[in-house]
Amino acid sequence: MKTIIITKKLDYPWLHDILPGHHPLLVPLCNKPFIEFFIDFSILAGSTAIRIISDEAINDVESFCEKGDRWGIAISYANSLPSDSLNKILEKNSRFCTDERIMIINNILFLHYNKNADYRSYFASLPSGDLPGFGKRTLSLTGSPLNSENSQETPPLSTVVLDSAGQYYQLAKDLLQNRLLHYVLPGYNNEAGCYIGRNVIIQKSAKIVKPVIIGNNVQILAGSVIGPSAIIGNNVIIDRKSTVASSIVMDNTFVGEHLEIEKKIASGNVLIDPESGLSLTMEDPHLLSSISQTDGSTTFLLRIVHSCIAVLLILILLLPYLLLRPILKSRGSWSTKQIIYHSAKPRCKVALPVTTLRKKGMLSTLAVFFSLDRFLWLFKVLSGHLDIIGSRLIEVNQESKAHYRPGVFSYAEAEDWPQNDSDSDIVNHYYAVHSNLFKDVAMTHKALFNRIHQENTV
Amino acid sequence: MIFQLDTSTDKIIGIAVLQVRIDATNCKELQKAFSLWLQDSANIVFDCSALDFIDSSGLGAIVSCLRKALEHKGDLRLAALGPKVSLIFELTKAKQLFSIYPDAASAVTSFKEVAAMP
Repeated sequence: MKTIIITKKLDYPWLHDILPGHHPLLVPLCNKPFIEFFIDFSILAGSTAIRIISDEAINDVESFCEKGDRWGIAISYANSLPSDSLNKILEKNSRFCTDERIMIINNILFLHYNKNADYRSYFASLPSGDLPGFGKRTLSLTGSPLNSENSQETPPLSTVVLDSAGQYYQLAKDLLQNRLLHYVLPGYNNEAGCYIGRNVIIQKSAKIVKPVIIGNNVQILAGSVIGPSAIIGNNVIIDRKSTVASSIVMDNTFVGEHLEIEKKIASGNVLIDPESGLSLTMEDPHLLSSISQTDGSTTFLLRIVHSCIAVLLILILLLPYLLLRPILKSRGSWSTKQIIYHSAKPRCKVALPVTTLRKKGMLSTLAVFFSLDRFLWLFKVLSGHLDIIGSRLIEVNQESKAHYRPGVFSYAEAEDWPQNDSDSDIVNHYYAVHSNLFKDVAMTHKALFNRIHQENTV
Repeated sequence: MIFQLDTSTDKIIGIAVLQVRIDATNCKELQKAFSLWLQDSANIVFDCSALDFIDSSGLGAIVSCLRKALEHKGDLRLAALGPKVSLIFELTKAKQLFSIYPDAASAVTSFKEVAAMP
């Protein structure tokens, strides 16, 4: 048997709220894309090949499923026109359909099945036409039965209407609470109702309440409570003391600290209330935002830009530093002590001269204006121990934090509002996760400008 | 921001109609205005019917207003939160801090009810 899966873009406009720019088949349900459920089901039903047909760009689906080697089934792809009827689509794919029994999954996103049931003999015995209990041409078979004997048992099989974020939410909740064992779901599953992915950091005081599904590359920071009935996608950060209960946090989402997400869907910077259908785009990145994934080349480029800014500043500040430092030192306005901090390089330390510069008189004001107290730190950017802008420095006798990226200037110095260390940590943590090339240049400029107004420098 | 005093109860209650946005750009303005309003009354109602957007700075400002009102032995009550603003209050747990009423009139009446209590 072969399987044809047909989707049409127009049928799923609501999915664009949840995951904009994603093909409907790649939207995850309990951290497993819809297409994977179909592939699993097709294999259970005895398919040896699958063709995925869509009227929109299918490249993402293709790069996710490839040729199907991961599942041991041949997967191919085809495009259709939005106006194509099912017959027209079958006609266009007639070479795939010849001489075989075909299962057609048309215009539905999800099937309830049970991985432990026997679908192979059930499908082999069914006559051609729509499957009992399914709408016209949503799940149908062509070709004659492979097995003339009727299957003794009808395995569980049904579909669900998915035309709103609310129904998607209910389906995910139903799976998590009642049907987890019916499907193969991603993640380690040492105990019932708890699936945890790879590279998951759960800090000591964080609490996980079953049932829960947590994806890969997830950080759950101190004091957070995840669950019950929470689905956390891949590449997610749940900041300190936040609660996620009866909710779905989609991939690449940052949840700020002290938040309570209950009965909601959070996707990037969008918060959706499935009950009312209300969708709110957060403009405030400290609450909810999307996490952009940087690749190696971006990081390399970022390093080059940071080094270039450091060289530029060294060239500009060299002369003022050489002239002003000895004078201020002799006047007692310049005092320096050596402190050892965690370096940007893993498991490395960096000793930095920390200068206290008292702003009294024109020369010391000028020194503060030029941030001369940080002049020697600029060389550490060239050696890779510091970034030009990054997190607040943490001394070696304190524990380093997640996403620690020490900088000559800190993001908190660029922002006006942080009033204490805790505020600064929020800002630093946020930008450490969300920074990019342009943001870093702009923030360095702001930090330099803001330091002019400081009374003393430390 | 429009501020007026309501004397329909035995207490003088200030009603402030908040503007469309409260964010980092105007939260300090709200805090300053609130300090002035407190001189007229420590019991204040924020009518949020026009408020469409609030960020963490704005929330911080409203919480700071509540703290000031409590310090003056009064209260700050919110009225007519729109669905989006309500969602933010829910998300940030700020909903637990405030008494929230469907409209300004019921918020004013709630002060009266308290006043009527022995």
